[in-house]
Amino acid sequence: MNKLLDQIRENVTQTQVWKSIFRHGYPNTDANRALVMFSNVILHLHPVRVRRGALKIKFTWCLGGLTFFFFVLLAVTGVFLMFYYVPDTRRAYNDIKDLGTVIYFGSLFRALHRWSAHAMVFSVWMHMTRVFLTGSYKPPREFNWVVGVILLVVTLVMSWTGYLLPWDQLALWAVTVGSKMAEATPLVGNAGPFGPELGMTINNDVAFVLLGGTVVGQSALLRFYVLHCLGLPLVMALFMAVHFWRIRKDGFSGPL
Amino acid sequence: MNPGGKKDSPQNPQQQQTDVTRRRFFTLMGLGIGWGGFAAALGGSGVGALRYMFPNVLYEPPTVFKIGKPDDYGIGVDNKLKKERQIWVVRNERGIYVMVAICRHLGCTPNWFDDQKKFRCPCHGSIYDVAGNVVGGPAPRTLWRAALSIDPVDGQIVVNFTQRQDPDPKGTEEGLMVDEKSREVPPFFLEV
Repeated sequence: MNKLLDQIRENVTQTQVWKSIFRHGYPNTDANRALVMFSNVILHLHPVRVRRGALKIKFTWCLGGLTFFFFVLLAVTGVFLMFYYVPDTRRAYNDIKDLGTVIYFGSLFRALHRWSAHAMVFSVWMHMTRVFLTGSYKPPREFNWVVGVILLVVTLVMSWTGYLLPWDQLALWAVTVGSKMAEATPLVGNAGPFGPELGMTINNDVAFVLLGGTVVGQSALLRFYVLHCLGLPLVMALFMAVHFWRIRKDGFSGPL
Repeated sequence: MNPGGKKDSPQNPQQQQTDVTRRRFFTLMGLGIGWGGFAAALGGSGVGALRYMFPNVLYEPPTVFKIGKPDDYGIGVDNKLKKERQIWVVRNERGIYVMVAICRHLGCTPNWFDDQKKFRCPCHGSIYDVAGNVVGGPAPRTLWRAALSIDPVDGQIVVNFTQRQDPDPKGTEEGLMVDEKSREVPPFFLEV
């Protein structure tokens, strides 16, 4: 029995396919344990040196990692939703209804996407609150705090653009309100301070570019869809890469 | 697993019976349950994701539809449903049949030329006669005929676009031919 298992393990782990994926032995020696950390892309996200205090769950509450987990979950479930959702004002609402009623596991994927989105917004806020309360934004980590603030804003805009896509009354009026707020932006909004003085009108200001028109209609739905599924995720991935790279370089701050 | 080289010792018959200790057995069982559960969860979500990709509702044109009463169609080929339903309704002295307007070469839509009494495909030049036999071009089989029936309530012709007649043609001097009598059978022919 043991010999058979050893033989199977030998046959699996000595293949070129296995060796090309796992470039270290079983982590039962110090050398292999170190190699696991160095050569594994997931575990490598952490700095090489971590202070004992920073390893405590009560220091970080894993909030950054949770946020990243929700992002990955949203990306995967979002791709699945894209197979059935068409950003067409005549179809969008019915496509969402179909996801909830006639497509196998459609409501599961939609619910996962929706709740992960809520959870991600929540965990981003909690993460930033934790970073603020532990003073982890202080030098040398002030650059990563700025990156984090950008990521927070992108997360909120992602949430907002995704909110329009079901094309129901809630979506329409929420985005109508949001775009009215954009019109009140200083300098670049037609209703904002110094906007009219700079020649801003309803058909050339920032809200006009955002909606692709003056009302929340077909062009707004398409723009929000493209931003939600392509533009913002790319921006987010870029800043996340920088964020993780700085974590590796700067390390965890450790308890106060 | 057998320290002290007792494996082959005759003084220890229990050790001789098996080389799996109790500890090893429970370790393997735990690993089996753990990894088995993980694999089951992974497989389950994989199957779920795969099932998700097969839609339950299709927003396609219906494959079973009504095309009016038999009296609406005179002798010859009726071209008017080609664009909407991709069919020709053909009436001869004996009755009505419905031909599918899909070329058997590569799936283009042939045109009916009433002066030549031929269907000609614009893509690669396949030519069919009024019965759907191949009289020229690269088409390897004769045109499909769709199943049809009479609705007992309103007397309209009901066409089933997906139920198709596809007999093996004979290669002759004129082309790939099918005996017309063998084709004029229900449900692919309506005697009127």
